[in-house]
Amino acid sequence: MTQFIHVWRMTCYEWFDALRSRRALVALLLYMATSVGTMYWSISLLQKVEKELASVLLLPASENPGAIATTLWKSKPFQDIMRRVSKSNQVFNDIQGKNPVELIYAWLSFFYMPLLVVLIAANRIPEEMGSGAVRYIAFRTSRGAWVLGKFFGQISLIALAVIISGICAYGVARWRLGRYAPIEIVWNMAFWAVRAWIYSIPFVGLIMGLSLFTKSASKSTIFGILSLVGLAIITGITTFFKSGQGWQVILPYLAALFPSDYEMLLWRSSAQPLITGSIFLVTLGFTYLGIGYFFFKKRDL
Amino acid sequence: MITALEVTNLVKCYGKRRALDGLTLRIPRYSVTGLVGSNGAGKTTLMMTVAGFLNPNSGQINLLGNGPFDADVHGGRFAILPQDSELPLTSCPLELLTHYGRLQGLSLQAAKKSASDMLEAVNLGDRANSPIRSLSHGMRKRIMAAQCFIGNPELILLDEPLNGLDPREAARMRSFIAKRRTEQTIVISSHNLNDIEQLCDHVAFVEHGKTVRFAPVDKITNKASILVYTLTGAPSDLPALEHVLGENGTLKFNPETHTLTCHYAEQAIPAAELNQRMIPSILSQCGLVTITQGSTLEEEYLKQSG
Repeated sequence: MTQFIHVWRMTCYEWFDALRSRRALVALLLYMATSVGTMYWSISLLQKVEKELASVLLLPASENPGAIATTLWKSKPFQDIMRRVSKSNQVFNDIQGKNPVELIYAWLSFFYMPLLVVLIAANRIPEEMGSGAVRYIAFRTSRGAWVLGKFFGQISLIALAVIISGICAYGVARWRLGRYAPIEIVWNMAFWAVRAWIYSIPFVGLIMGLSLFTKSASKSTIFGILSLVGLAIITGITTFFKSGQGWQVILPYLAALFPSDYEMLLWRSSAQPLITGSIFLVTLGFTYLGIGYFFFKKRDL
Repeated sequence: MITALEVTNLVKCYGKRRALDGLTLRIPRYSVTGLVGSNGAGKTTLMMTVAGFLNPNSGQINLLGNGPFDADVHGGRFAILPQDSELPLTSCPLELLTHYGRLQGLSLQAAKKSASDMLEAVNLGDRANSPIRSLSHGMRKRIMAAQCFIGNPELILLDEPLNGLDPREAARMRSFIAKRRTEQTIVISSHNLNDIEQLCDHVAFVEHGKTVRFAPVDKITNKASILVYTLTGAPSDLPALEHVLGENGTLKFNPETHTLTCHYAEQAIPAAELNQRMIPSILSQCGLVTITQGSTLEEEYLKQSG
């Protein structure tokens, strides 16, 4: 019980300290700026695409991006594009007809999430290990409580980042689209924010788990970036070689060890895939962290 | 003897080098014990291993009678001032020490009070809310020492607590530690043997990862068996002085330093009584500059370490 209380206290202090240290604030602002910028740029792009498609499909053009989204969703070429982007018929069916603003927000939240995690979480543990500050904590609580406190501190910071970026992204959409970004989609965007936050958990686990192997903040950041590159490569390989012949038989099992395998489950609308995906992603997060902790608990501080 | 810390055959290796090579030590409860040794002797490694920061290769540690360090068992009962460890620079002392107190199981109010009292004790009450990065090295060192005493833990290990303090603050810290002599068990590692002699009642000489000597400071410095009289010149009649001393001890004069060393047994004759007999006889032959009881810790250490 005491250790649970310690985890809670460490989380609260981590939160407080991360915000005060300004570094986390800079990362949050960066993420917010990226969200706003991406939303702005995506709306402009959408406007161009709409205009071009409207001319090809002989639909009436509109100055307001999103105005012909409903019509677009009904067009076969657009459906084909979206089906390819969403990688699955089920996901395509679930997102079909949704407001482009919430889809843009969902996409940018998922796309930038790993980078945000590296920016926020990679150096929190190595900094304290490198400076020796961890030693003032290590005789007051267990290493496990310290690591978990840091972990929960980071995922709660990411929740804050997602909320702030969501509000700002909606603001931009409202400004650019007016009535085509109705207030009702805020609820949908909030739901996407929760999904993106769940998607962040395995990355926080991975980045912090790796950071437990080093006392250098810069090395930890490099480990984090390299791990994201590695994940992208593995995802590429598992997607490309999916014939299931010979050595490729192992690829689905390999893919199951990484978050990208469960990402699209979070894009579904029904509860069952959403819950399954969430459980797998959270489990992956704790597993990565647990592997790092297994090494950390035996290492010299 | 009730022990606060018992270390048996402790071995800690850094690669091929054995920093602790079968070190054995028993620290009595409510004692102030000094760890003395040359650089790299293993004092810091010993403290870090006892605190659970380092994993020993072999040997046993019994901390407060409950085995090796375990946060569940020892959290709040044990504290350490680690060497070369920075406090979080963006934190403020009061809030940081309160956080530490909370982790030790104190209520918010008690933790705040304890943190505040400790900052006053190290003369940093007026900087309680300044970020640590804005404080000088000496100030940071005082906060590091203050954090050890939050919540009055039973056993405190201080690694070079007076290092980097100005003379006034060093004196204040010495007096602060001395006041806690009977309330807590304190272990101090220092290269300043005067500090150790002033503060400690026991001392351990550590060399090459082993305890080479552990005893009460008085015993090591022979406070109860040696009196040294520094004279203005050679006594004119040494046999007469020996006659005054009689069966109670022996005398030896060093003509180079003009010191007359008297070996005696405190059980047979107390130092005060011996002085009452010897001083008039000495003064009848020559002048007397100083009387010192025993040797200094430094002399004994240098003798011990060759």
